[in-house]
Amino acid sequence: MKITKIAVATATTAALALGLAACGSSEPAQNDTGTKADASAGGPKFAGQTLTLWRLGESNPAAQKYTDDLVAAFKQQTGAEVKVEWIPWPQVNDKFTAAAAGGAGPDVTEIGNDQVPLWRSQDALHPITPIFSGGEQAEIPKNLLSLETDGGEIYAAPWGAGTRAVLYRKDWFDELKIEVPKTWDELVAAAKKIQKEKGKDVDGFAFNGGSDANHLLGSLAWAEGGEYAVKEGDKWVGKLTEPGFKAGFATYTGIVTDGLSSKSRLTQNSADIRTRFANGKVGMYLTAGWDIATIKEESSGKVAEDQLAFFPLPTKSGGAAPAFFGGNDIAVWNDAENKELATEFVKFATTKEWAGRYASEGGLLPVYPEHLEKLKEDPAQAPFAEAFANARALPGDPNWTEAGETKAVLQNAARSVIEGKATADEALAKANTELEEILNQQ
Amino acid sequence: MANTSTVARGGGNSSAPERRPPRSRRQAKASGMPAWLIPYVLLAPGLLVIAGLLLYPTVQMLIMSFQKVGLRQIRGVPADWVGGENYAQIFESEIFWSSLRNTVVFAVVTVTLTLVLGTAVGVLLNKLSKRMSTFVVVGIMSAWAVPPVAQGVIWRWLADADAGMINWVLNLLPDWFSELLFGRADWTGEPWLNDAFTVYLVLIVCVVWASFPFIAVSVLAGLKGIPAELYEAARVDGSSAWRTFRKITFPLLKPVFSVLTILSIIWNFKVFSQLYVLMGGPTNREAFNLSMFSFAEAFRSPPKMGSGAAIAVVLTALLLIVTAVYVRQIVKTEEM
Repeated sequence: MKITKIAVATATTAALALGLAACGSSEPAQNDTGTKADASAGGPKFAGQTLTLWRLGESNPAAQKYTDDLVAAFKQQTGAEVKVEWIPWPQVNDKFTAAAAGGAGPDVTEIGNDQVPLWRSQDALHPITPIFSGGEQAEIPKNLLSLETDGGEIYAAPWGAGTRAVLYRKDWFDELKIEVPKTWDELVAAAKKIQKEKGKDVDGFAFNGGSDANHLLGSLAWAEGGEYAVKEGDKWVGKLTEPGFKAGFATYTGIVTDGLSSKSRLTQNSADIRTRFANGKVGMYLTAGWDIATIKEESSGKVAEDQLAFFPLPTKSGGAAPAFFGGNDIAVWNDAENKELATEFVKFATTKEWAGRYASEGGLLPVYPEHLEKLKEDPAQAPFAEAFANARALPGDPNWTEAGETKAVLQNAARSVIEGKATADEALAKANTELEEILNQQ
Repeated sequence: MANTSTVARGGGNSSAPERRPPRSRRQAKASGMPAWLIPYVLLAPGLLVIAGLLLYPTVQMLIMSFQKVGLRQIRGVPADWVGGENYAQIFESEIFWSSLRNTVVFAVVTVTLTLVLGTAVGVLLNKLSKRMSTFVVVGIMSAWAVPPVAQGVIWRWLADADAGMINWVLNLLPDWFSELLFGRADWTGEPWLNDAFTVYLVLIVCVVWASFPFIAVSVLAGLKGIPAELYEAARVDGSSAWRTFRKITFPLLKPVFSVLTILSIIWNFKVFSQLYVLMGGPTNREAFNLSMFSFAEAFRSPPKMGSGAAIAVVLTALLLIVTAVYVRQIVKTEEM
C-alpha cells in the first residue's frame, strides 16, 4: 500500500511539475509530450492513460528508486501514468493465478524467466515479438530468449539475469578468522565454526526446502554432473536416480543431517532465510545479488552492506558449482487493456539505458553483452559473473512449476530422507516417477 | 333522507352478510394463491438464497469434477469432459489416501476428545456456584470465539521450535520427570510442525481447545433442564456419581449429544484454516487432509480445478454417509 502511495505521489508530483513547466496548460501531459521532439511515435496518444506494473520482490530503496525513475521517464516520453505494485517472490504464482482467473491483473509484469513457459501455456502472456526485430533489443543474445520463445513468438523480454551465489556475513568471517571456502568441505567447516561461536540457533549454512529449493539443490546436483530430467523425443525422462544427482542430493540433505541448518526449518524458502539472516541467525545462504539491499532495509541498518559479501558456491573438488540460471523478464499480461501501450513500456524498460540500470542497481547481471564485458572488471560482481559462465536452467517445461514448487517433489523427497522415513534411493526413485508423470502430463 | 338512510342502512345490512365472502376472497386475493401454496412462497426467498449460494456451487462442483478445468477454461475456453479420469487420478494418488487417513483419524480423535472434555466441563459447570460458573463460561467461551486463523497463529507460535512456549515449558520440567514421561529431558529446538504426526498433535490440541467450550455450554444448558428430583432420588438410593451420570444425565441429554456429535463431525471433517496456518500453507504433503489436498490441487499453480472438485465431492460424499449413518442410528434407538 505504502509503495503504491509513494509511486502515485511521485507520479502526481511529476505531473504537477510538468504542468507548471507547461505554463498552466489545462492538459499538461499532452502539451509536454508535444513539445518533446524526441518523444516516440506513440507518445502523445497515450497521454492520460494508466498502466499497472507488477514488480516482483520486496521494494528496497534501490529498486524503488529505479522504478520511480523509470516510471517518470516513461511518463515524460509517452504521457502515460504507471501504477506500480510490489509482489513478494513466494507469492508470485498465487497472484498470477488469481489475476488470470479473476481478470484483475497487471498490464505489464516482471516475471521470472523460468515462470514464462507456464504462464505462456495458460494464455496469460501477450506476444511481443516485434520488439526484438529492431532497435537495441535486437542485440540481446538469442540464447537468453530460449524460455521466452514458443511457436516462433517471443512472450517476454529479458530484463536482467540473476544467477545465484553464497551470501555470507563478512564481519563474522573476519572475526572468526574464516577464509572464504574454496571447496564444499571448507564451507561445512566454516558453517560449523560459525554455529559454535554464534550460538546453536544460528544456521551456519541455511537449508532451503521451500518453493525455490531447486536453486540450491540444482547447483549441488549439477556440480556432481547430475541432471533433473532430459527430453528424449517428446517425452521427459527423469534422471534423479543417476549417480550424479544422487551425490548432489546427498550433499543437499547433508546440510541438515550434518547440523549446518536446523531440522525445524525444513520448509523455509529464500525469503524466510533472508529474514533470519537479517536478524543475525544465518551465516551463509545461497541467493541472488538483490538480497543485500533488502537485508539492509529489513534489519533497519543493523546489518550493513560492508558486513556482507558473496562467493560462488564451491563444489567438492573446488571451483564454482554451476549456478541456477535465473533471470527476470518483463512481459505484457494478456488481459492488458491497452496492449500497444504495455508493449511500448516493455520496449522502453528493456532499452540499453533502462535494462542496464535495472541490472546494475538491482544486483543482477545485464542482458546486453557490452554491459556484461564491463561487469567482469567489477570485483563485487565477479562471483556472479563466474557463476554465470556455467549457469544451468531447470527443465524448460510449462509443468516444471508444478513439480518444482506446487507439488514440491524434491523438497518432499528430501524431507522424508532427513526425517529418516526413507532411504535416498527409495525417495529419489519415487520422486523420479512423479517428476516424469508431472512433466509428461498434457 | 330517510330513504337514503334506509337504503344506506339496508345496503349496510344486506352487504354485511355479503361482505364476508368478499373479505375472504380479498384475503385470497392478497396472496393471490391457494392456501397450500403459502408456506412454499414464504420459503422461497430462503431457498433462493441457499440455491444460489450453496446448491448452484455444489452442482457446479459436481460437473467440474468430471471436467478438465484449468486457468484457460476459467478464462473462457470451453472445458473438456474427461469422464471419471479426475477420480481415477486421485484414487491412484498416494497423497489422497494419506489425506483420507489423516482426515478420518483426526475427526475420530478430535470428536471424541471434544465431546468427552466438553461434557466433563459442562457437568462441572453445573456443580459450580452461579458466579463461578459464569466466570468459567466467559473464560472458555473466549477461546471458542477466537477466529480459526488466529487459533492457528497462536498455536503455531506456542509450538515454535526455537521460541515456542511448549518447548520452554517441557524444558522446565524436572529432568527425571520428563525422562519418565517422554523418555527424554532435552526439548530445545524440538520441531513440532515438521512431521505429519506432530503437526496433527498440535492441530488436535488447537481444535479441541477452541471447540470444547461450545459443547460444555450446550451440555450445561441441557443439564439445567433435568429435574433436580431425579438426582435427589438417585442420591437417596445411594447411587455413585458415575452411575448417576450413566443412568440419568446421559439418557436425558441424549438428544443434545446427538446434535453435538453431528455438528462436531461436520466441523472436524472439514478443518482447514488452522491446519493451513500451522503448516504454513500446503507444504508438507504427508500432513494434508482432504480439504488441504483439494485446495492445493485446485488453487496452486497450475490450478487443476477438476481434480480439486473431485476431491471435494469425495469429502462431501463421505461426510453425507457418516452423517446419514449416524442419524439413522439415532432414529433407530429412539424407536426402541
